[in-house]
Amino acid sequence: MLAQYATTLTFIALGAIFAYSFYAVLIAGQLSLGQAGFASLAAFSAAALAPSAADVGDVPALLTAIVIGMGVGAAASIVLGLPTMHLRGVFLAIATLGFAEAVRVVLLNAEWTGGAQGLGVPRVLTVGMAWTALAVVAYWFWRMGGSRYGRALEAIREDELAARAMGIDVGRHRLAAFVTSGAVAGLYGVLFAYYVRLIAPSDFDFAAAVDGLVTAVLGGSTMFAGPILGSGFQTMIPELQRAVGIEAGWIRPFLASLLLLVVILFLPGGLTSFIPRRVRMPAATDDQGKDLAGRRHPAAGDAVVTLAALGKEYGGVHAVRGVDLEVRAGEVVGLIGPNGAGKTTLVNMISGLVPPSSGTATVLGTAIGRTPVHRIAAAGVSRTFQHSKLFDRLSALDNVLVGAHLVSRPTFLRRLLWLPSARRDERAALQQAARCLERVGLADVAGTRASALSYGDQRRLEIARALASDPSLLILDEPAAGMNHVEAERLSQLITSLARDGLTILFIEHNVGMVLRTCTRVVVLNFGEVIASGTPEQIAADPVVIEAYLGAAEPADVDPAAGSIAEGTAVDPTAGGPDAAAPDAVLNVRPAAAGTLEPPDTTPRDAT
Amino acid sequence: MRHTKLHTVAAATAAVFVLASCSSGGESGGSSASGELSGEGTGDSCTIDAEVPLGAVLSLTGAAASYGESQQRGLELAAKELAEKGGVTYDLTIEDDQTDPRQGITLFEQFVNDGVSLIIGPTLSNAAVQSDPIAQEGGVPVLGISNTAAGITDIGDYIFRDSLTEQAVIPQTIAKATEEFGLEKVVVMYSNDDAFTESGYEAFEAALQDEGVEIADTLTFSKADTDFRALLTEAQGQEPDALVVSGLIEAAIPLVTQARELGIDVPIIGGNGFNNPRLMADGGEAAEGVVVGAAWNSASDNPENQAFLEAYEAEYDAAPDQFAAQAYTGLMLIDEAIRSECAADRESLKTALGELEDVPTVLGEFSIDENRDAEHPAVVQVVEGGKFAVLE
Repeated sequence: MLAQYATTLTFIALGAIFAYSFYAVLIAGQLSLGQAGFASLAAFSAAALAPSAADVGDVPALLTAIVIGMGVGAAASIVLGLPTMHLRGVFLAIATLGFAEAVRVVLLNAEWTGGAQGLGVPRVLTVGMAWTALAVVAYWFWRMGGSRYGRALEAIREDELAARAMGIDVGRHRLAAFVTSGAVAGLYGVLFAYYVRLIAPSDFDFAAAVDGLVTAVLGGSTMFAGPILGSGFQTMIPELQRAVGIEAGWIRPFLASLLLLVVILFLPGGLTSFIPRRVRMPAATDDQGKDLAGRRHPAAGDAVVTLAALGKEYGGVHAVRGVDLEVRAGEVVGLIGPNGAGKTTLVNMISGLVPPSSGTATVLGTAIGRTPVHRIAAAGVSRTFQHSKLFDRLSALDNVLVGAHLVSRPTFLRRLLWLPSARRDERAALQQAARCLERVGLADVAGTRASALSYGDQRRLEIARALASDPSLLILDEPAAGMNHVEAERLSQLITSLARDGLTILFIEHNVGMVLRTCTRVVVLNFGEVIASGTPEQIAADPVVIEAYLGAAEPADVDPAAGSIAEGTAVDPTAGGPDAAAPDAVLNVRPAAAGTLEPPDTTPRDAT
Repeated sequence: MRHTKLHTVAAATAAVFVLASCSSGGESGGSSASGELSGEGTGDSCTIDAEVPLGAVLSLTGAAASYGESQQRGLELAAKELAEKGGVTYDLTIEDDQTDPRQGITLFEQFVNDGVSLIIGPTLSNAAVQSDPIAQEGGVPVLGISNTAAGITDIGDYIFRDSLTEQAVIPQTIAKATEEFGLEKVVVMYSNDDAFTESGYEAFEAALQDEGVEIADTLTFSKADTDFRALLTEAQGQEPDALVVSGLIEAAIPLVTQARELGIDVPIIGGNGFNNPRLMADGGEAAEGVVVGAAWNSASDNPENQAFLEAYEAEYDAAPDQFAAQAYTGLMLIDEAIRSECAADRESLKTALGELEDVPTVLGEFSIDENRDAEHPAVVQVVEGGKFAVLE
C-alpha cells in the first residue's frame, strides 16, 4: 500500500524541503528567488564531488553529498547575501533571480555538468530518507518558532524599523535567514539529484523557483507546518486530477492554477490558517525576572542624554537647529511645540533613527551619528512611534516578547536540544512580557493579534513593548494621540507611576494639560529651536511659549496672566480633534498640581 | 468553528487518498492476469479477449508540449485504426508529464504498478534517462518514440525505441550534403540549452570532422531566442559554404527567414528539429533549399506512408510532422509484435519487440537491432516548391 505511493510521498517531501528554503527567508520578510540557483550549484557540485555510492555504500555517499551540497548552498548564499542584504522586497527578488539565472547559464556552458543533456546521478534516496531529511528540517523550523531568534525574524518581517528600535540587529538576522535558506536549498538540490537520476540546469530554472515560492506561500509562510501542507497540496493536485479522470492536457494546469487562485483568495494566510494557534500566557509568579539579563541603570542625576548644538537639515530646511539639551536620570521631560517644530526629528536623532547633520549627542554613553539603531537600543533607549509601529500579525504577547529581545538570552540552539535552561529563559521572558502587559492593562488581550486591537490598546501595547527591554530612557512620541480622555487619563497615571519607579522618560505630546501634569521639566520647540525650557509652572506662564503655541491668529484668547494653557482654557490648535481638548484630559489642570509631582525615586530599580 | 474547518481538511485529505487508491485498485491486477493476455492465432488472425493495457507518457503541457501534442495525435490515429482492425483491442492511457521530471517518474511508477503491458514514451530524452530505469526495474517494456540521445537503450533490456538516434541520421546528412554542395568550410549554430539540440550538435560536429569539413565558427543561442540577426551577420563574415544548424522548429523558422533576409544564400542544413511542415508553412519562400536530415521521409511513396498522410490529413486537417509519424509507427509496431506471438504480457512483448524485422512501416522497412535501437533508412531532404523532397 505504502510502496505504491512511495514516489508521490518522496516528491511531497522534496517539494516541502524546497519550500522550506523559501519559508526560511519569507518568515523574515525577504522575497528571494535565488534558491533554485543554490540548489543547482549544490546538486551539481555534490554529484561531481561526492564519492560513488558503489564504492562507499548508499548512505555514506548520500550523507557526504548532503554535507557538500549544504556547504555549497550556504557558501553561495553568503556570497550573494553580503552585497544584497540591504535590498528589500522586489529588488531583492530581482537580484536573487539574476543570480539564479547566472548560475543556470554558467552550469549550462560548463563541461563538467554535461550541459543541457545533464549529469547522471545514481538513485540512492528512498522515501524513508526523504522523510527523515524533511523531519529534520521541519524540526529545525518548529523549534525556531518559539525562540528569541525566530521571534526576531518575525518582527523584522512585520516592521523592520520597529525591530531595529527593539535592539534587533536586522542585517545579521536577515543574513542568517538567507544562509539558512541557502543551506536548505542545497539539501533539496542534493536529494533531488539522488532521486531523479539525471539533473540538468533546466531543472532549476525560473519556473522551479516560482514553484517553490508558490508552495511556501500556499502552505503559509508564518507557521512551520506551512511548507509541508503546501507541498502536499501541490503534489496531490495532479494525482487527484488523474484519479478523477480529468483528461490529460491543458485543462489540468488550468484547473490547478484556478484552484491555487481560490486558495490564495480565500486563505491569504495559506493552508496553515486552518491550524489554531495557542497562546502561552504564563501563570503569574513571584520570581521577578531573576533569570533575565539585568541591565545597569544610571544613578539618579547622571546625564542620560547630552545634546550639544544638535541640528538636522533636510535639503536646506532646518528641521532642528542648535539644540542644547541635557536629560538626567529620573527626569520626566515633556517635549512640546506646534506641528513641524522638529520634535519627532529630535527624538529620532536621540534614538539613532536619523543621523544629525551638525552638533554632537551622547545618549547613555553612546555617541549618536554612525551608531546603528540597535546599538543605541542596546545601550538602554526604548521608544514608541508617532504612528504605531506594532508587529501587526503577532499577538500582543509576542509583540512584547520581541520588546524583551535585549534582556533575554538566545534560546534557539538550546531549544533544538530541549535543554531545560532554554525553557527557563523563555519562561522568564514570558513573565517579563506578561508583567509589562499587565502594567499597561492589556493582560486579558495577550493572545489577540496586534492589528485587531483598538487604537488606544495599540498605543498602550507599544508602551508595553518599549518597557519590556527594561530601558534606562523611555521615549514616547505622542502616546496619547487619538486617545479619548479616559484613556489619556489612564496613560497619564501610567507615566507617573513609571516615573515613580525612577525611569527616565522623554515624551512628545500635544495634550498640554497632560504634559504639565506629568513632567518634571518641559522643553518647548518651535521652528527647530528650543524657545523655552523649565518646570511646568514656568512654561505655563511663559509668554513666548503662549505666543508660539497659539500663534498670532487668536490673540484675543491669549491671557498670560491667567495662565491659560495651564488652566486649559487655551486649546492647542495643532492637536486637532475634540479628544485632545476633552475637558478631563486637558482642562482644569492646575500648575500647582503639576509642580508638586513627587520627586523621582532615586533608589536603584529592579528589572521592571 | 475551527474544529469544523479541521475536520473538513481531514476529510478532504482522506478523500484524495481514497480516490487515488480506488483508481489504481480498479486497474491493478493486470500483471497477475497476464494469462488472459494471450490468445489464438497469429498475425492478423490473432484474437485476444482481454483489452491490452498500454500506457503513454507524453509532454502534453510545459516546454515540450508541441512535440507531445503531435505524438498524441499520431498515437490516437493509430489506436483508432487498430480498433477498426479488431482482434486485439487496446486500452491506451495517454498521460501528461508536464515536461516535469517529477511527473514523469511518478507516471512511470504508476504505470508499472497498474500492470500495463508496455509504456510508450517519454517525449524527451532527459525524461527517458530519469524514468526508463523504473520500468526496467519493474520489468515493463518501454518503447521510446522520440528519444534520439545516445545511450537510452543502454538503460536495460526492456528499453526499445523506434526513433533513430542523431548519430544514425546526421552523418548521412553531412555526407550527402558534402557530396552535393562540395562543402569545405561551414559555420555551426545550435541552441545549447536544450538536450535534443545539444546532442544533435555533437553529432554534427563529429560528422563534419569525419568528412574533413572545416568548422570556421561555432555559435550558440538559446531555444527561446527569436532574433538571430547578430549571430547570422557574424556567421556571414566567415564566408561559409553552408550553415549547419541544430535547433528546434521554433528557432528554425526565424533563423532561416532572417538568414535569407540578410542575403545568406548558402545552403542551411538542419537536423531532426527541422523536419516539420511548419518550416515551409511559416518560413515560406525562405525555406526553399533548406536541407533536413531526418528519420522520416515525409515524401516517401511507400503505401504505409501514403495511407498515413491521407488519414492524418483527414483526421486533423493538418500535415503530420516527424513526431506524429514516429508515434503512429510506434503503436503499429507494438501491434505487430503482439500479433507475432499473439501474446500481450510484458515478457512476451519484450521478446517479440526484440525480434521485429523488416516490418513495412511509415518510416520504411523497420527492424530492431541487437541494441534495441531502431534500424530503418534515414533520409536527406531538401525543401523544393514548399515541400520536402529527397535530396539526390
